[in-house]
Amino acid sequence: MVAHRLLRNLAGGTAVLAALLVVVFGLPALNRAVPNDRSLTGQQRYEVGAGVSVQPPPSARIDASKTRPGADRAAVLFLLGAVRYAIVVTPFDGGIEDAAGRLRTKIKATQGYQVTGDEDGVRTASGIDGLAGGYTAPGRCGRYAVFLTGGVSIEVTVSGAEFELGQVISGIDASIDSIAYGGGR
Amino acid sequence: MTAVGQTGGRRWRFSVRPTPRPARALKSLQLPAFWLLGLILLAGLARLGGILRADLAKYPVATTSAIILFAVYAIPFWLFIASMDFLEREPPLLMATAFAWGGAVATTAAIPGNQAVHDLLAKLISPAFAATWGPAIAGPTIEELLKALGVVMIVLVARKQINSVLDGMVYGALVGLGFQVVEDIVYAVNAVSVSGRGDGVGPVVATFFLRGFLAGLWSHTLFTALAGAGIAWFLVRTDKPVWWRAGGLAVGLGLAWLTHFIWNSPLFADGIGSGAAGVLLGMLGKGLPALVMVLALVWVARHREAHFYVAHLAALHDPAIATPGELQIMGHGHLRADARRYGKARCGRAGERAVRGLQTAQARLAVELSRVSHLDPADALLIYCRDEVLAQRQRLVALGHPEAIVSPCRPAVPRIVVLGALGAVLLVLLIWQAIRSMHAA
Repeated sequence: MVAHRLLRNLAGGTAVLAALLVVVFGLPALNRAVPNDRSLTGQQRYEVGAGVSVQPPPSARIDASKTRPGADRAAVLFLLGAVRYAIVVTPFDGGIEDAAGRLRTKIKATQGYQVTGDEDGVRTASGIDGLAGGYTAPGRCGRYAVFLTGGVSIEVTVSGAEFELGQVISGIDASIDSIAYGGGR
Repeated sequence: MTAVGQTGGRRWRFSVRPTPRPARALKSLQLPAFWLLGLILLAGLARLGGILRADLAKYPVATTSAIILFAVYAIPFWLFIASMDFLEREPPLLMATAFAWGGAVATTAAIPGNQAVHDLLAKLISPAFAATWGPAIAGPTIEELLKALGVVMIVLVARKQINSVLDGMVYGALVGLGFQVVEDIVYAVNAVSVSGRGDGVGPVVATFFLRGFLAGLWSHTLFTALAGAGIAWFLVRTDKPVWWRAGGLAVGLGLAWLTHFIWNSPLFADGIGSGAAGVLLGMLGKGLPALVMVLALVWVARHREAHFYVAHLAALHDPAIATPGELQIMGHGHLRADARRYGKARCGRAGERAVRGLQTAQARLAVELSRVSHLDPADALLIYCRDEVLAQRQRLVALGHPEAIVSPCRPAVPRIVVLGALGAVLLVLLIWQAIRSMHAA
């Protein structure tokens, strides 16, 4: 009788542990098994969120798990083969230098990433001003840009192996140039 | 003691399953679930320690402020939850275990679980759907499951301590409180990180205000109290058919999920109507029904439990143990408080302490009476409890205030109603003012 009770208790405890393991390891494993990337329909402008839109580069797909549209802040990650092109929009009330400094800090926070060279002023086709620079990482190189408009900062990062990046960079540059806020095009 | 205390009331007879006399805390050590619980808690604490260590290294001032602020914030919640079950208090170690499960296990397990469900929604439906409905689907589904597992674990290691629906609500609320406090700390530090302005306390205070104050009354503490009620109902109501008990369990868990879903859902996220009043209305519309439902459930569960225990004292028919007036107020927290105030008014602090002492001794005797199947005149524990009541009675007699009752000049509208109404009005005004300030900023 006592042994039966202890067995039932063990079964109950094991069931709780199993449920925990399903949540902690099972669901993330299932998530990893489902492909991240989704194709984009046609070549329409993509609404990133928080009022920002962009023309995606040709043949880009999006990483659904890293894409977060939203009213106040938003993010999208475009995938072009192994090249990653991310746009992050967040509320920001500082100056362009502060925004660029914040992005540089984020980049350098990743082990092995280093910002290289000086920053240059850039302007999108819709007239949003910003700063752009470059960075390196082990086996990869990257570009970044930050724009300020309408109380939000638009952070752009592009990274990939040098050869692959060279193949798609013109399309990405055109895409960055197409970034618009509000109804702008 | 002159009569056998075997009554237990009428319809609430089955609402309470007293802890049997032979139940001892050390017996839990023999249970496999106890050791599993210990391992899971250690793993959860280690994971939580890792998260907080990283936060402390990055933002020492903000993280420390968040920990202190939310720890202080938890105190009144803890005291309220602990006081819900005045007559048959829960063991502090078990209460702390429930809190630790919510704070260390459920939170750390929810992080990868929530993320996975959110990502799956984004991949299988769309990122826009995940951004809009993800928190409403992932939050309740993963978090309510993990928190309910905490109550189940308490049942597995100390089944005899779940005597009534109220006990389930107490443990559920404590699991939820632990979750709420740790989640708020993590959110506060995230807010510091997102602000990108270094190690400041501004975002911590803003998070404390938003999550602790504006959303704190209808948050995890409340959701998991409902789940705990369902689990306890299933355990305690052995007089009902299994399908009926399972139905009660499903209703409890379902309500926990539903109230959490409604709160997290994007419906009325911008309020009902325009301006601060609209936001306030939206917030109250989403949170208030859940709060009222839980408070009503607590009220019913408390009174059923109180009637059960008071009936055991009443069966003694011994005014030295409890007078009819004392029996009448024993099941009502606000009346017991009124009796203490009356004792203080008549005999000062000593009178208040003596009334409190008598009430505590009466509660202990009532609980002990409920635990024996027949009254043994030589039962040492019962004799000790009875003597304690008589000693407290003597203290009152010596003070010239022999009966711990409420003042005959007590106002027609109970003090608790007035204070509750004033508190609610003040709270609504503060929330409204806060929302207006945020809109203006």
